[in-house]
Amino acid sequence: MTGLGPLLRIRWRTMRRSALVWVLALVGTMAATAVSVAELYDTPTKVQTYADAIATDALVAVNGRVEGLDTLGGIVQDEFGFLAAFLMPLLGVGLVTAATRREEESGRLEQLLAGRVDRRAPVLASLVVVVVTVVVTMVGFAVSLVAAGVPTEGSVLYSLSLGALALVFAALAALLAQVVLHARAVYGVALAVLAVAYVFRGVGDVRGWWVVWLSPLGWAERTAPFGEPRWWVLLVPLVVAVLLAGAAVVLAARRDLGSALWRGGAGPERASTLLQRPLGLAWALQRGSFVGWLVGSTVLAAVMGSLAQEVVDALTGNPALEVYISLGDDPADGFLAMVVLYLAILGIGYVVQALGILRQEETEGRLEPQLAGTVARTRWLGAHLGVVLAGLVVILGASSAVLGLTSASVTGVGSVWPVVGAGLAYVPAVIVVAGLAAALFGLLPRGYVAAWGVFGGVTFIAFLGAGLQMPQWLLDVSPTTHVGTPPQGDVSGVALAVLVVVAAALTAAGVVGFRRRDVPRG
Amino acid sequence: MSTDDVVTVRGLVKTFGAVRALDGLDLAVAPGEVHGFLGPNGAGKSTTLRVLLGLVRADAGSVRLLGGDPWHDATRLHGRLAYLPGDVSLWPGLTGGQCLDVLAAARGGLVESRRRELVERFDLDPTKRARDYSKGNRQKVALVAALAADAELLLLDEPTAGLDPLMERTFQDVVHERRADGVTVLLSSHLMAEVEALADRVSIIRHGRTVTTGSLADLRRHTRTTVHAVTSTEPTGLRAVTGVADLVIEPAGPHTDVRFSVDADHLDDAVGRLHAARLHTLTVQPPSLDTLFLRSYDSDAPGAPPDDGAHAGRVDDSIPEVDGRHRAGRGAR
Repeated sequence: MTGLGPLLRIRWRTMRRSALVWVLALVGTMAATAVSVAELYDTPTKVQTYADAIATDALVAVNGRVEGLDTLGGIVQDEFGFLAAFLMPLLGVGLVTAATRREEESGRLEQLLAGRVDRRAPVLASLVVVVVTVVVTMVGFAVSLVAAGVPTEGSVLYSLSLGALALVFAALAALLAQVVLHARAVYGVALAVLAVAYVFRGVGDVRGWWVVWLSPLGWAERTAPFGEPRWWVLLVPLVVAVLLAGAAVVLAARRDLGSALWRGGAGPERASTLLQRPLGLAWALQRGSFVGWLVGSTVLAAVMGSLAQEVVDALTGNPALEVYISLGDDPADGFLAMVVLYLAILGIGYVVQALGILRQEETEGRLEPQLAGTVARTRWLGAHLGVVLAGLVVILGASSAVLGLTSASVTGVGSVWPVVGAGLAYVPAVIVVAGLAAALFGLLPRGYVAAWGVFGGVTFIAFLGAGLQMPQWLLDVSPTTHVGTPPQGDVSGVALAVLVVVAAALTAAGVVGFRRRDVPRG
Repeated sequence: MSTDDVVTVRGLVKTFGAVRALDGLDLAVAPGEVHGFLGPNGAGKSTTLRVLLGLVRADAGSVRLLGGDPWHDATRLHGRLAYLPGDVSLWPGLTGGQCLDVLAAARGGLVESRRRELVERFDLDPTKRARDYSKGNRQKVALVAALAADAELLLLDEPTAGLDPLMERTFQDVVHERRADGVTVLLSSHLMAEVEALADRVSIIRHGRTVTTGSLADLRRHTRTTVHAVTSTEPTGLRAVTGVADLVIEPAGPHTDVRFSVDADHLDDAVGRLHAARLHTLTVQPPSLDTLFLRSYDSDAPGAPPDDGAHAGRVDDSIPEVDGRHRAGRGAR
């Protein structure tokens, strides 16, 4: 194919940094998980305790129904399950989107295709680089699992199943990039597919329904690497990925450059009075990401809440589970506390992404004309911070309300308000991360990506902190640790107040920095 | 440089890391004038405008804008000016009309009747999403937002980038109208023709310094007219006329071919001599600022193309000294 060689070199050159970051982050997380699990569960008795405790529907909904939980590998698969379910698809979607539709949007694809380059070469080259990245990641996974003492066959199959999961979503993103107009829409549709896949896998695993087989996450799970391995299941994601990628390549050869199946029609001729105010413009720019995170977190809350009865049943018949979820006044409280923490993590994702829009406005040259008007820098920044804070309160309030409602309706006990209170109790912790993001924007705008690193760190501690029995000082690094475990545990007002003060100080530093610095700063 | 200038910049310095973007730049814009701000790409035009807007802080030098300090009084001053950035970027999800209103609202609104009129004259479809606009249409949205504003000062950074010649013409008409309303315009550009068509005064900058500044008339006076004539007999005394240079007299069949350049003040004298030698044909090339512009840029650029004969060796002559701010020609060639 003409031009595939040069395109491969270009893609390798432009993608290698993000690919390297993905490989290091994923393999690092896997290695850390495997080593910690191996240290914690060093006797067959301890492994059996874990198996007894975890084999409950609550955790099955979150992490998946892992076969072979009474092995070291099974525990790793279970602990890594939730993170893997999101990180592996994101690896595929992120790399492919950046190399396809984003390139087309920016006009760089046009320039490349004007050269001696086959129309199919760019998308094919992007997929090749992603495949290489995934293969390297799989090798890293397998090596770190074997090093931690997990049997080789299971390690290899498990790594392959995770890699296949990433490839399915990479191919899906490649196809979406041919049919939707904007990179953001590629992300949006791909993440919606992921959410549906997660719900199908979760509900299917708990209820034993066949819909698991409709979910790419289910395919990864059903290879059962640490139970009775089913190698043939690997064929399902591979065939699907090849079909999707093939469709993407065929479409790329046939369609017009810059085209899409769906384009917006004509819009309003005038801006509303609201849109003409900084607050209204901030809302218009933030609306998309707000709605996305709101939908995502309420769906997660609804799915989890509707499984509350299964959790209560499991708890009352399984005292071993108390190691992980202790019973409170309401037997579902421990489970609800865990889900609320997950909702708070989603809240952190929302604030980091939403405040990232500020940096995007700056680098893409739209901040300059606004500040060249009568809008003061503090007012512009304040409008965005206000919208993000309000959005966060709505997201945490609404999703925890949905959680409380669904859980109360299926169990017939408990009430909504303690759960809503628990969700809102996490607001101070989340705004600490928002304050950090604001400080980065004001003081070190080029380093904004570090805010995503903080998100990753907090997520890691929240999901794996308890299971891996991390030291207290490490748990204390995450602001979510200081909230307690509402609605099950007590919440310290002093701790929340301290979090608010820290958040305010960080935000103030960001505002002062932003007032003093040059705009735009490249 | 009078104290009531709209823009007064003296010795402005701005560095970005190791790069000295502005290196002692001077600029004075008088009320009511269209001031051409000329320079090649990367000369520091956009950075100067950003300093004037308080977006970027000056490292050294003094900057006054509309009688205030652009960094400290930014928002108050911005109510009196409108700005067109050099790189127009709109919100992809909003329509052109919405972007226009949002941009205008950021500076405190626009004149409704003017908005309607300019949308019409620039042939803009305000219901289209900004992501579907071509480069020229995006430029038009930002242009209308700036030109429809009720502002005392317009800061326009390469305003016609991406416009077709018809729209360029419309733009020039509108700027003339605004000027007639008493609006001051600072027009940054690298297109001499555009500045020549619009500006009363011009500042040329290079490498972050002002090379030359003055009224168009001043600059024209200092550029030279090239003359090509065919006369019946050989003209006499031309060499003695002050201001005549590059004189070439060659026989051309039965006639005499005469070429020379002359400054504006001595054109009459020189043509008189040609007349005395009985003119057959006469071609007079008016003074072009392009020549001056190119020369100001080139004068110490490495690998600059050799001069065409007509102006060889007179680089320094061709750059006028106005307001004692002559900077070019130091160490030139």
